[in-house]
Amino acid sequence: MRYISLRIANYRGVSEAKIEFGGSGITLVRGPNEAGKTSLGEAIRLLFDYHDNSKHRDVIAIKPVHRDVGPEIELEAESGSYRFTYLKRFFKKPETRLIIVRPKPENYIGRQAHERAEAILRETLDVDLWKALSIRQGTEINQPILAGQTWLSAALDRAAGGHSADAHAEDLFEAVRMEYLRYFTESGAEKREVIEHRKALTDCHSEVQRIEQVIRDLEHDVDQAAGLKRELSRLRRSELDIVVEVEKRSTRLREIAELDQHLSDAKLKLEAATASEKAARAEQDNRERLINEIVDATKAAADMGESASSDLTSLNQAKEEFGKAQKAYSDAHKKRKEILEVIDLLRRDHEYLRAKLDLELLQERRTRIDRAREEATKSELALATNKVDEQALESIEAAQTAAISADAKLEAKAPVVLLRGLVDCGLTKDGAVIKLRQGEERSFPVPDIVKFAVPGKVEIEITAGSSVDMLARKAEEARTKLNDICTSLGITGADKAREAFEQRQKASRQIANLKQVEKENLRDLSYDKLAVFILGLQQSVPAYLPDRVLEPAILDNLVLAEAELREAEKVRDRAEKEWVNAESGLDEVKRVCEKWNNRYIEARTRWEHLKEDLTRQGRALESERATSPDEVISMAMDNAMTSVAKAHIGVIDTDSSLKALNSEKERELDRTAKESLSRILHRVTEADRELIEVSTRLKINGQDGLYEKLSLAQAALEGAKYRNASLIRRAAAAKLLYETMRQERDKAHHAYVAPLKKRIESLGRLVFDDTLQVDVSDNLQIVSRTLNGATVDFDSLSGGTKEQLSLIFRLACAMIVAMDGGAPVMLDDALGYTDPDRLRLMGAVLAKAAKECQIVIFTCVPDRYSNVGVAKEIVMR
Amino acid sequence: MVRFLHTSDWQLGMTRHFFSEGAQERFTQARFDAIRNLGRIAKDEGCQFMLVCGDVFESNQVDRKTVARAIEALKGVPVPVYILPGNHDPLNEASVYYSSVFVQGKPAHVTVITDTTPIRIEEDVQLVGGPWLSKRMGLNPFDEAITSLEPAMGVTRIVLAHGIVDSFTPNKDDPGVIAAENLEQAVNDKKASFIALGDRHSLTRVGAGERIWYSGTPEVTDFGENKAGYAHVVELDGTKVISKTIQVGQWRFIEKDRVDINADEDIEALRNMLESLEHKERTAIKLNLVGSISLSQEAVLRQSLDTTSQVFASFQLMDGGLLVLPDDADFSKLGFSGFAEATIVRLREKIAEGGIDKATARDALMLIVRLGAGVA
Repeated sequence: MRYISLRIANYRGVSEAKIEFGGSGITLVRGPNEAGKTSLGEAIRLLFDYHDNSKHRDVIAIKPVHRDVGPEIELEAESGSYRFTYLKRFFKKPETRLIIVRPKPENYIGRQAHERAEAILRETLDVDLWKALSIRQGTEINQPILAGQTWLSAALDRAAGGHSADAHAEDLFEAVRMEYLRYFTESGAEKREVIEHRKALTDCHSEVQRIEQVIRDLEHDVDQAAGLKRELSRLRRSELDIVVEVEKRSTRLREIAELDQHLSDAKLKLEAATASEKAARAEQDNRERLINEIVDATKAAADMGESASSDLTSLNQAKEEFGKAQKAYSDAHKKRKEILEVIDLLRRDHEYLRAKLDLELLQERRTRIDRAREEATKSELALATNKVDEQALESIEAAQTAAISADAKLEAKAPVVLLRGLVDCGLTKDGAVIKLRQGEERSFPVPDIVKFAVPGKVEIEITAGSSVDMLARKAEEARTKLNDICTSLGITGADKAREAFEQRQKASRQIANLKQVEKENLRDLSYDKLAVFILGLQQSVPAYLPDRVLEPAILDNLVLAEAELREAEKVRDRAEKEWVNAESGLDEVKRVCEKWNNRYIEARTRWEHLKEDLTRQGRALESERATSPDEVISMAMDNAMTSVAKAHIGVIDTDSSLKALNSEKERELDRTAKESLSRILHRVTEADRELIEVSTRLKINGQDGLYEKLSLAQAALEGAKYRNASLIRRAAAAKLLYETMRQERDKAHHAYVAPLKKRIESLGRLVFDDTLQVDVSDNLQIVSRTLNGATVDFDSLSGGTKEQLSLIFRLACAMIVAMDGGAPVMLDDALGYTDPDRLRLMGAVLAKAAKECQIVIFTCVPDRYSNVGVAKEIVMR
Repeated sequence: MVRFLHTSDWQLGMTRHFFSEGAQERFTQARFDAIRNLGRIAKDEGCQFMLVCGDVFESNQVDRKTVARAIEALKGVPVPVYILPGNHDPLNEASVYYSSVFVQGKPAHVTVITDTTPIRIEEDVQLVGGPWLSKRMGLNPFDEAITSLEPAMGVTRIVLAHGIVDSFTPNKDDPGVIAAENLEQAVNDKKASFIALGDRHSLTRVGAGERIWYSGTPEVTDFGENKAGYAHVVELDGTKVISKTIQVGQWRFIEKDRVDINADEDIEALRNMLESLEHKERTAIKLNLVGSISLSQEAVLRQSLDTTSQVFASFQLMDGGLLVLPDDADFSKLGFSGFAEATIVRLREKIAEGGIDKATARDALMLIVRLGAGVA
């Protein structure tokens, strides 16, 4: 809708006022208080809301005071495809007139005009939204309630890319919801009606089952009654048969009882006869026993006498054997004693010989030690005088080598004397004897002067020339040195030195030998201990022989003595064995001897006793026979046996008769028949009682109209099933429809909230800043504002901010619906809570919105809207 | 000459759960009224007596009130009545004929046949019945009754029997079945001049001759009984047998196995057919609808049937074979759009998908159509 012009006359205090609105954009109507601005804003609503004859207080309120004239309102506007002029005069000469010029001319007056105008409004805009976009003077700008406003919804739907919303979708949704709530609670639980339907169905089911069970029981009772009747009839027939059977068995049993009595009497007779026979037999047996006992005793006494005699013979033989055994034992004992004495002597001899040998050996060992010790002592003395040790020998040998060397050199230069033996002869050279055999030649150098002499015959002195002198001196010096060394060692020459050295070596070996000799001869003894042993033996050995018996003579050889001892021991072992055998043989014979002795004594004693018993029994038999002779007893026995035989025949005869009647079988049959009868009678009683019970039940239940009851219950169940199924089906349909529709509706709301939010934020960012975000709920309300990340609930915002956001919200709505023809936003002195800075910014908002929709502002404070950009300004006075 | 009224299967106390409210009582009353009508016919037709061949009562366990009402109705019958216990009301321990109400209230002219002993009712007329003594008989009592009989000499012997004849049942081995051959043999052997049968609810002649008949029930009891609701008047005169049937039944059970519904015309035709039926309050109807229609058509059909069905004693509709497929036309006239339209799209998708929600989705669509019409 777009307003073109508005005129009011006789309206409250205003006699006439008219404004021509701008084609689009902002129309700013300025004027002081009571100039009629608010009246203009209000007038449009009254024009459409009330008939010209309305007595509504809002209409009454516009009537001029003290003037009898009717208030007039005339609006020229475009809405949808319509352009029209609509006039109303109230109270005085009321009039309604509608002149439509487009799309085709139409004229209406009165009620028709009113209805047509309403129809145009309904057809072309959302009346609620149109009203919501007006802000009246003095009212706080709050968020309009826009949820369910189909025009806006449709526009938003379209803006969100959907189809145009259905005009009745919300109404339809509400109807669907109400249908849903017939069966379910708000929380989705089934309502009591549904639950009761279910319960009713269960109850019906139970009732049908119950009656069916009663009918089944009844049919069972019918069968049972028929069965019981058949059974009773059968039982009564059986009863008659069995009574006859019982009677028959009773007669037979009486016969059997009589025979039983007869048998009992016969058995008593037999018992008495048997007892008499037994007594007679006992007496006869007693007599025979006495006689037999005497015969036996006589024989026993004779046997015992024989036995005693035999035992005595054996005893005497045993005694003889005993004497022999005693002698054998005595011999063995003596022999053993003798050999033991021989062995003792031999053993002592052996010990003596061994001690004697030991003494010799020990003494020998000590002698060897003593000799070695003596040698060692001598060697030590020799060592003490002999100084030619290895070193001394080496220096002597060195000196000798030097002297020989000097001599050799001298000899090489010196003249040589050749001696040739013509015969074997002896001579001296420088005093030393030289033996010269015939034909032997020997050369001797002459270093200086050499003197040869044939003792007793001639002496020849040969002297060497001067060139030999020095060599001779050197040789002399060397010899002197050699002599000096020898002299210092107390020897005469090098050969002696070697000899002395050998002797010294020998002495050292002697000393070393002593230890070896001691070790070998002392062995594990010390020298002193050896001496003690020797001393002990030296005392004991000579003392033995004087004390020894002379015979036999002692052997002088330990080996022989030992052999002799071994031989004697063998003899002893044999003697020992013989002795043991003789001893055990003696014991055995002794035991046999004792045994026969005992047997003989026992046999003898018993024989005596038997002879006494025999005498006593003989006397007793004699006494018995005096009272009852043997013939009397024998006759009594014969009589008793005859009586028993007779009685026995009586018992057998009666018993045979009884067996022929088969009493056991008869009794069993009788018992069975009686029990059967009892059982039948018992069952008859029971069956009678059961039949009465069943018949009573049948009488009660059979006439209770169970068939109709079941039919009714089944009908009720069918009905309940049908109703239940129908109800559940309806409930399920309502639920599915409601849930599906709610989901679709929520989805649609979510979708069309988006363009509104976008519009609000786009406008709002002119006032706040670029971070502005608003949260718009599904029912189209700003829930919160977010600025620089800080979110504040709408209700917690300051009055000014709420006012600004609410206005922005309206402008956003108006811009959205502008595409459908739109609805003007009418502001009557709004933004009273807004500070000057924000007012300036809000001006920009209004200017931006005005590019898309018509905005009419009434104000008495012109500065408040000085920043709205292009606007048609109208001044009211 | 002997003339009598042959009837059976009164089934007094019978209930039908498919009856609408009040219909059961009318149905029950109709069965008692039938007795009175039979009595009137017996008198009008000059019958000497009435034979009721079994199942006078629906059950031995009927209510005392039912028995009392039966006695009242019997009192109004002006000729002697011979009742044969059938398989529904056998003469067992719980027999309705032993109930105190019956024993004390039974009119003197009413006789219950308790065994197969011949009953001489007139000088030359004899009745022989085979009463059921229990629900499960090892042999049909007719066989026992007929075996012990000698050919009827000089008397007209009417045999009363109850049970299905083998030619009318697939279960020929059931112990209670009567062999048609035996029936005809009995007639041929002159053991029976006429055999009056009960158990089959349709008036039916058995065999080639005129001497073996089912009377059928005097008042229909179920669908499928094609000749129920008659009184059978029989006249035996020497070699002649004259049968006459007179309608007494007031009720109808109509069953339509297949009613094709595919177009608006079919719905209209069905409506017209139902409209044209007379005595709807005494009519039980069973329809099996087959075909395919739209949601809107179904709404029309339901509305039409809802109104009509109320007046019938019973209106059973089987629509398992009727396919309801929503089409665009179902919704376009309601002008749904936005989320309402989206809702319909989703529900239609559910129907197309099939599955367990299919039927519910269809109901939901019906519901939205109904609710949409309400708010439009």
